[in-house]
Amino acid sequence: MAAASPSVFLLMVNGQVESAQFPEHDDLYCKYCFVYGQDWAPTAGLEEGISQITSKSLDARRALVWNFPIDVTFKSTNPYGWPQIVLSVYGPDVFGNDVVRGYGAVHVPFSPGRTAVCENVCSRHKRTVPMFVPESTSKLQKFTSWFMGRRPEYTDPKVVAQGEGREVTRVRSQGFVTLLFNVVTKDMRKLGYDTGPPDTQGVSGHSPPQGLPT
Amino acid sequence: MITTAASWFEKTSLESQVLLLTWAMAEVHVIGQIMGATGFSESSLFCKWGVHTGAAWKLLSGVREGQTQVDTPQIGDMAYWSHPIDLHFATKGLQGWPRLHLQVWSQDSFGRCQLEGYGFCHVPSSPGTHQLDCPTWRPLGSWREQLARAFVGGGPQLLHGDAIYSGADRYRLHTAAGGTVHLELGLLLRHFDRYGVEC
Repeated sequence: MAAASPSVFLLMVNGQVESAQFPEHDDLYCKYCFVYGQDWAPTAGLEEGISQITSKSLDARRALVWNFPIDVTFKSTNPYGWPQIVLSVYGPDVFGNDVVRGYGAVHVPFSPGRTAVCENVCSRHKRTVPMFVPESTSKLQKFTSWFMGRRPEYTDPKVVAQGEGREVTRVRSQGFVTLLFNVVTKDMRKLGYDTGPPDTQGVSGHSPPQGLPT
Repeated sequence: MITTAASWFEKTSLESQVLLLTWAMAEVHVIGQIMGATGFSESSLFCKWGVHTGAAWKLLSGVREGQTQVDTPQIGDMAYWSHPIDLHFATKGLQGWPRLHLQVWSQDSFGRCQLEGYGFCHVPSSPGTHQLDCPTWRPLGSWREQLARAFVGGGPQLLHGDAIYSGADRYRLHTAAGGTVHLELGLLLRHFDRYGVEC
């Protein structure tokens, strides 16, 4: 690729699935995967992962910590279809079956900011992602699914990253997952894209309501 | 001369139009989420959203409107939708900067939907990630209609959705405040400096 006029830009994402806040559930594990448009392709790293099972700590924080690494690089010709990370959290119910505790998705942050020296730009972001589960419509269905251990779940969690087809789903939001990202891009400025001013604070997204550990 | 060039352009294939547009015009990417809503009196909420732009703007990729899931929050009072928005516009001019218009509805356990608020906000004009809070309002009717809404549900709605984002006929309306819709929108601009536009 000629250094003078690139046609492709790179997006490197690393970070971690840091922790979760689920007041009513314990012993949870998390799966992540990336959803991206047709113009994007992963070039390095892992697109999916499954974390360990974590329990709430015994101290007053009652924290659920995974500290699960994320490391992937994408290349693309077009920012449309910017990658989203889709998270699914699972845990045991009262009968010991593995049931879904939440789905969530968030776009990988842009990388605002530039240094005077190089064309590569970097910044660090924290995102708190709300997690929701599909809900049965009738009380009888809710009881049956609780009893049988077969809760409503999405056949493909990637549906959470799309807008189409969501209008018929009823969900219940019941927790949050905190992610930390570091993002580096290459050649976006050379292709004419302006991603905005530097954001060195590094914290954004909605924080969970009062009373939950942050 | 301009009219013949425009008509020539319209006759070329869609692929050529997209190629010509992306070479010649400034582009805007709006990438983000409708996070959720707070401050509404009902808790099972969903949102119908749409984007309105002026004549100089052309949507190259993405869906211009949609409807979110219905969320019933278990923790706190914020209903979370996490609805992704990914739009790619090409533009010849600054007029008609995109506006996102929203209608928040609630759904009860019987599946009936009731309007909770209308709102709009402009897509931010500077590149980067932005947290937006969009206030909403709903039309009040006469005292009879307000009483009926309290007992039976329903209530007045706008006939034409463009009153949400235009100021033209607003003086006829008497409204009350609804809650707030929270959005996180990221903006990527391309070739704006080529045209001398400062954002």
